[in-house]
Amino acid sequence: MSLNDILSLLRISLHAMVPLALTAVGEIIGETAGLFNIGLEGILLMSAFVAVLGAKAGGPAVGLLVGMGTGAFVGFLFSVINTYWKGTQMVTGIGINLFAMGFVAFGLIQLGAPGFHDVPKAAELAKLRTPMGAMSPLILVALVLPFIVFWFLKRTRAGLMLKAAGEAPEAADVAGININRIRLYATTFGGLLAGLGGAYMSVAWMGLVTKDLSAGRGFISLACVVFSGLNPLLALLAAFIFGLFQGLAEWVKTLPSKPIPAQFVSMLPYIITLLVVSGAIGRVRFPKSLGEPYKRE
Amino acid sequence: MSESKRSIESRLLRGAHRTLTGLSPAVESLLAAVVGLLIGAILMYIWGFNPWKAYIALFKGAYGGSYEIASSLARATPLILTALTFSICLRSGMFNIGAEGQLFMGATASILVAYMALPAPLGQIVGLILAAIAGAAWSLVPAFLKLTRGVSEVISTIMFNWIARWLVLYLAIFILGDPNRAEKTLSIPLAARFPVMVRGTDLSYTIFVSVAFALLIYFVLWHTTVGYEVRAAGLNPTAARYGGIRNKRTMFLSFILGGIAAGLAGATITMGQPPTYAIYGGAAMPQLTNVGFDGMAVAMVGRNHPIGIIIAAVFFGGLNAGGRVMQFYGSNPVPLELVRVVMGAIVLAMSIPELIRIFPSVKKQGQELVGLFRRLTRKPVKEEQA
Amino acid sequence: MSETETAGAPPAQATYYLRAEGITKVYSDGTVALKAADVELHTHEIMGLLGENGAGKTTLTKILSGLLPPTQGRVVSPKGPVRFSSPREALDFGIGMVHQHFALVGPFTAAENIALSHERPFTTIQLARTREQLEALMAESGLHVPLDVPVEKLAVGEQQRVEILKVLSRDVDLLILDEPTSVLTPLEVDELFDLLRKLKEQGTSIILITHKLKEVQSITNRIVVLRHGEMVGDVRTEDATTERLAQLMVGQAVEGEAVAVELKDEELPTRVQRGKVDRAGESVLHVEHLTAKGNTGEIAVNDLTFDVYGGEIFGIAGVEGNGQTELVESLTGLRVPISGTATIRGTNILGVSPRQIYRLGVAHIPEDRWELGLVLPFTLAENAILGVHQWEEFKGPLSFLRWGKINRHVRELMDRFEIRAAGPSAPAKSLSGGNQQKLIVGRELAKDPAIIVASQPTRGLDIGSAKYIRDLLEEMRDKGRAILLVSADLDEVLARADRIAIMYEGKFMKVCAPSELNREQIGLLMGGVTDEEAS
Repeated sequence: MSLNDILSLLRISLHAMVPLALTAVGEIIGETAGLFNIGLEGILLMSAFVAVLGAKAGGPAVGLLVGMGTGAFVGFLFSVINTYWKGTQMVTGIGINLFAMGFVAFGLIQLGAPGFHDVPKAAELAKLRTPMGAMSPLILVALVLPFIVFWFLKRTRAGLMLKAAGEAPEAADVAGININRIRLYATTFGGLLAGLGGAYMSVAWMGLVTKDLSAGRGFISLACVVFSGLNPLLALLAAFIFGLFQGLAEWVKTLPSKPIPAQFVSMLPYIITLLVVSGAIGRVRFPKSLGEPYKRE
Repeated sequence: MSESKRSIESRLLRGAHRTLTGLSPAVESLLAAVVGLLIGAILMYIWGFNPWKAYIALFKGAYGGSYEIASSLARATPLILTALTFSICLRSGMFNIGAEGQLFMGATASILVAYMALPAPLGQIVGLILAAIAGAAWSLVPAFLKLTRGVSEVISTIMFNWIARWLVLYLAIFILGDPNRAEKTLSIPLAARFPVMVRGTDLSYTIFVSVAFALLIYFVLWHTTVGYEVRAAGLNPTAARYGGIRNKRTMFLSFILGGIAAGLAGATITMGQPPTYAIYGGAAMPQLTNVGFDGMAVAMVGRNHPIGIIIAAVFFGGLNAGGRVMQFYGSNPVPLELVRVVMGAIVLAMSIPELIRIFPSVKKQGQELVGLFRRLTRKPVKEEQA
Repeated sequence: MSETETAGAPPAQATYYLRAEGITKVYSDGTVALKAADVELHTHEIMGLLGENGAGKTTLTKILSGLLPPTQGRVVSPKGPVRFSSPREALDFGIGMVHQHFALVGPFTAAENIALSHERPFTTIQLARTREQLEALMAESGLHVPLDVPVEKLAVGEQQRVEILKVLSRDVDLLILDEPTSVLTPLEVDELFDLLRKLKEQGTSIILITHKLKEVQSITNRIVVLRHGEMVGDVRTEDATTERLAQLMVGQAVEGEAVAVELKDEELPTRVQRGKVDRAGESVLHVEHLTAKGNTGEIAVNDLTFDVYGGEIFGIAGVEGNGQTELVESLTGLRVPISGTATIRGTNILGVSPRQIYRLGVAHIPEDRWELGLVLPFTLAENAILGVHQWEEFKGPLSFLRWGKINRHVRELMDRFEIRAAGPSAPAKSLSGGNQQKLIVGRELAKDPAIIVASQPTRGLDIGSAKYIRDLLEEMRDKGRAILLVSADLDEVLARADRIAIMYEGKFMKVCAPSELNREQIGLLMGGVTDEEAS
């Protein structure tokens, strides 16, 4: 591989990292508070789509905002159903995913071509010229955000309250924390970040939206969360690693002679996720803090 | 009163009594369906369609005539099985989201029958067996990972879904591809196909496979110790363990059964869907895609009970079949993707427990009805106890 | 007068701080926890709140500290009635409670846990400043804990200190401690009491919930006794003898409602007197030097040695939390003890999985029937075969369940044990508590056990069902089986057991026939006062 190739790989990897990192960090906040949202996939898809609508109407910034709003709304809905209404988190998540699939496919047809829609250049978020090539400014956001969230969780009282709500709700209750309200805030914000990730995919990165744009990224983000033990910095690392493999997959496809069939290359991110989650690649273990929030159902 | 006469009567009454008191979950499913359809209608309205006309077209396309009903049943066939996948595992306390991938593997495995010159009914049987094994094998690894390393089965089954998709695509193009036609695999040979039940439709005898399997699962769950242990482990693992049940083994078993169901679902598609009897469609693989996920919706609406699943599958199958008609109907037809929107909305509505609480009058009326029936049936029930 | 340390001069500066008037609390399942309780609290005073389990002590303090609302009655301060809708409000008012089961967040450090109970979410935790304040507090109170270790890694005594610091850091006027000494070493108890005395002098009002008679006499100024939700005594500590306290705590034999229903007065003397001293049966369960740890790592069962013979009911009485649960768990395959032996006719039963335990002849009527005993959504029939579903009479070829035979069997059980339900297909959760328990008992007895371990078998049952279960156990006893009865209901144990053991802090204070003790002595033993210490 030449230097150019490496830079190219790096560039692709960083881009691929963004939706994973944003979604994972958002989910970390939600899971710290005790809610497990498997509807991330649906949120990514829906916000990618809605962002395009917004971008076409008012430009890329509007697109991103609308995407975030969509994500926040779905996150809000999820937490209301599962805190105040005492629903089942798994079923809600599955419902969100199903709904999103239909909604986006349906909406795409309205926009013209079934299953696919190109985002006009004017609506795309401009990429910055860098030595590495054209890069989206949101990469910066994805790199910085985990640090902010990390600081927030560790060093503010709100972060403490969040953790308490997830780890020991009884103790938190006695300390006067409103568990439902905290979870509401947490998951809504988590949805907002996932919404940004989705919007990024269509408006800032790929410039198009398809009916399965998310391609399992919601679940790969969950794998990042598992890997990170609810530490945003580790989630960023995981997101980068997965992004790297997606970049590698892309790169292999561009090779003139194809050593590996394209389909196997496409499988790679998922296999890696599986291996990482199974601990075959020396995953750092965070047993206690990981298990408990899930039980807070 | 003779012993036998009394017991038959009372058993019938008891059955009816139980059905009606068990209605409450069915009412909830119905309510969720209504809510889902409502949300679909709202969305249609926003996008500028006429919901009323669309739904009429939908239901006519689903149940309007014998052809339509056959079409709905044909769509329902694989749904019953993928719903069972999710449902069996849920009963033992696990979330198997992998029906999608297990179905892909099952469908692919059934194609292998093309390499064997087998007469009917051997061809069908072997095809089904191959599919079942493939489906079970594909669910084994996530089950194993969960039970030995505690890996979330949600994440692992989804990863396996995607891996299966790409693997099957590869196999379909390079290994099992039809030399004459690029975008499809070899077809299931004539002798191994399931004959069409209603001429002119795509409903074949595979529906009996689905229904038979559903009934089998019903018997296993409620009439064998194996099924008993599965249910106990899912409902109260502590008490189950104390009752001598090996929870891990039971969960593993449920995953295998679920994998078999999904594998069979794949086979019902390849071996039962005219005209191609193969996997086709390039990367999209439309006949196989989403059947797994839709199965989950069916399972939830069917309250995880094999009988309920059959009914719910017919409903969802109807939605799919009707959708195909709806998309051509009228001057401004609604695309069939709306159907999945409705499905998702229904599942969302189902995730709110006691949806009935939000509609107090419905609950009250339902309760009154149940109470009335209970009073009517109470005397014979008590008599039988005396 | 028993020997007690001076409880301190009557606090001269004591003023009225808070009063609970007519507090009644009925839980949603119908349990009446408190009946019109009236208590007045004063500053500069340590009040002991005494009573058995279920007496209402924890309920009363939970109401005072804002965790629960009273069903009736109110709390009044010098400024007027007060009402707390959350523990935080009570804390703001000045009432803090240290619970028996700590309300701490495990992975947080002590500093973080204490910071949690303070306001203003979006500021950063000024850890430096909090530490300064905490260290000052620690120096003042004499309570020292490592501030930067996750509390789940601290010893139980240290965890308790964190709890206390948490409350103290809020500057409370009323400090409530629920059974604080049950997890402390004697040295730690002394330290705690020194702290309490210091706080008292500063003007804090303190409520100490306990069941330990010696303790309550050594530290309090005043003692309030609750029994069955009612206030039965409010005395100055110096005026109270341990005998009198014990009497108040456990009540007079004829006053107890449950006993009165079961037994006619004339029966009472003969029943209580009957206690087989020489055993007709052989030793069924033999336990030697059994020691087991509890969930928090402290010793719960402390070197127990005893036998249970065929044809007897061996009752273990005592306030809950003294090791009874851990003992039962050790004998039924739910807990692995750290040393000792337990055998049934020579065969070891320790460390055996629950699956195997019944094959060795142990039947268990569990304390928590909903978690261990039943699968609530299952039908009666399905529950009846739990654990025995693999038996040949119920399981046919291809593992098909013989529902015909099973239903017949269940109907027999329903007849035999008077289980009232719609039929074998009724869901277990539709049964009343009593019928559920009868189902469990019937199921366990069908296993034809050598010994029946009954743990709180009549808890939460109506009087009729309770009597039925007790009669049933006696019937089993008369047929020659061995019965180990563990119960927090003293009346029950006294009325039905042939021999009793009073358990306190993991040991048997005394093993004898019920007739050999009067209630006062029993109360003393339950409170940890040995024979020699009583006057």
